Amino acid sequence: MLQLAELKDEITALKHATIARQRHREVKTEDALKWLADAPDAPTLRALVKQQGAPGEQYALPVMDDAPLDQRFQPSGQPPSGTTVVAVDGSQIRPDRHAAILYYLLQVGGMIFRYNGEAPRTQSKSTLHFKPSELYDKEGLLITGQLGQRRTVAELKYLAQLTAQARSAGAPAPRLALTDGPLLWPYSGRSEEEHRQLLPAYFAAFSSLQQNAGMPVGFVERPGGRPLVNLLRLIRPRAGQTANAAPESTPDRLTDRELMAHFLQPGDRSIWFKRDSPMNQQHTRAGHAIWFTYLNVGTETWPVIARLETPAWAAQHATWNRTLHQVLLHQARVLHGHPYVLARAHELALVTHQDQAALNNLLQQELSAAGITTHISVKAEQKAYLGKNGRR
Amino acid sequence: MNQENRAIRIGNVLRADIRGFVAASRIPEPEVPTFGTFVHAPIQQGQRQLTGLVYDISMQDDQFLRHLAVTLEEDNPAHQEMIADQRERAIPVEISVVAIGYRDSHGYHYGLPPQPPMVLKRITVCRAEEVKEITARPEWMRSLLENREVPTDELIARAIQRSAKLHAEEQQTYLITTGRYLARQLVREPLRLETLLRRMAGGE
Repeated sequence: MLQLAELKDEITALKHATIARQRHREVKTEDALKWLADAPDAPTLRALVKQQGAPGEQYALPVMDDAPLDQRFQPSGQPPSGTTVVAVDGSQIRPDRHAAILYYLLQVGGMIFRYNGEAPRTQSKSTLHFKPSELYDKEGLLITGQLGQRRTVAELKYLAQLTAQARSAGAPAPRLALTDGPLLWPYSGRSEEEHRQLLPAYFAAFSSLQQNAGMPVGFVERPGGRPLVNLLRLIRPRAGQTANAAPESTPDRLTDRELMAHFLQPGDRSIWFKRDSPMNQQHTRAGHAIWFTYLNVGTETWPVIARLETPAWAAQHATWNRTLHQVLLHQARVLHGHPYVLARAHELALVTHQDQAALNNLLQQELSAAGITTHISVKAEQKAYLGKNGRR
Repeated sequence: MNQENRAIRIGNVLRADIRGFVAASRIPEPEVPTFGTFVHAPIQQGQRQLTGLVYDISMQDDQFLRHLAVTLEEDNPAHQEMIADQRERAIPVEISVVAIGYRDSHGYHYGLPPQPPMVLKRITVCRAEEVKEITARPEWMRSLLENREVPTDELIARAIQRSAKLHAEEQQTYLITTGRYLARQLVREPLRLETLLRRMAGGE
């Protein structure tokens, strides 16, 4: 049981530290906003980053030569009638060596939302994985991180499949294809499985989306990272300040999200950027370099900053951009900053504890009917008892 | 929901006692049964089928719906698709059923069953011919008339209206037999009888 009284001093210390950090960040934000307004043009900024010779992923590089760094876009009107948005999300049951039966499950849920006055279409797909080759890595260890990678591929493949369906059903281009989280492959890309199977499948899904005039978009709510702030620090001396231009590394440094919350008015979108990371170079070689932009889907009193990621080939369509912007503002308005379609896709993908228990029961019944007895470990049994009292 | 000639599954038993049961369901709105629908559930290892009438339908909310309830506006064209989606979304529904009888290999037995259905047993809407068979004798109302815990009279009136349509050829005879039965059972409650007969005729 948690003894809250024992934490009283630490809670007070946390409060004071938060206040101090907040004040510190407010000053930093004001400075950063000034640098943003005084920033040179995109080619100069890209040249500055190149001169630094620092790893490319640390900086947000403006990609359009004619767009000033402090340009903001604000669409007008509702999404055009007939516009189609496809959204997917995924969830899983992890393999558990204490469980009665060793397996893992992936489930993806999706929604095809069409602006035509009718109820959207919903779908989901589950796959059960139980072969030793699926459950263990080459060292014979139960997979852990690989599951997230396989799920990411399953989600994008499903997104591509639903987008193709939407096209067959007559949905006009662009078919916006949303996923919850980044589109840039969020893993190292160095494992053999990624190299041989996962990344080729991931890029194939991008190609399918491209062929079906889909606009894949990764919606990253509460984005971390500070590539734009790092870029602004590079130009700080030009704004009359003197300091080290290298990216800050202290934990309380300003993030892009905090800066954008002050810079973008509700509904505003920033210009497009890219990060020249090794992973984005892999994407580029596959024909799907990822660009990103920031969007404020919140309100005056409660800004909600999202980072949108999309392939360069999609970001360069001005009309697609406008439609995406209109759709996301409309979708996010009813859920205070989170797109409705993504919330529903999450719900459709979710595997609840009850679902898991029902699946386990069914599997055990099937095996029992075949004369095979299975049981969970004693440790899992004890945890289940304690779990009933609300402990974790 | 009409008493159709196809088996419509509406959910599983959540809790039950000898007088009735509650089914939990996550079915889209068009499939939700209506007040007075005849349903059945297996009892005693499937040897018997309990028959009952839906007397309450309770739509459960959830966090997601609660969130949307304050932002979506029914008359706002920009919210049309989302409202349509929520109405088709599998919302949690609790369906309460009161028992009126059960069927075994010998036919129908009116009144309370020997056992309630077990939890998670499947509840299905009775087919039209089953309803016709159940209501062939007016005794199907017996346990209902004694039940003070459900809106009995409304329920009987609705069930009679529903079943009368199925006794199309002998509808007049059916209604007279039913009315006479009610008159005998409610001989000490003339006001209740009058109200019930008016409801049967659709007057209230």
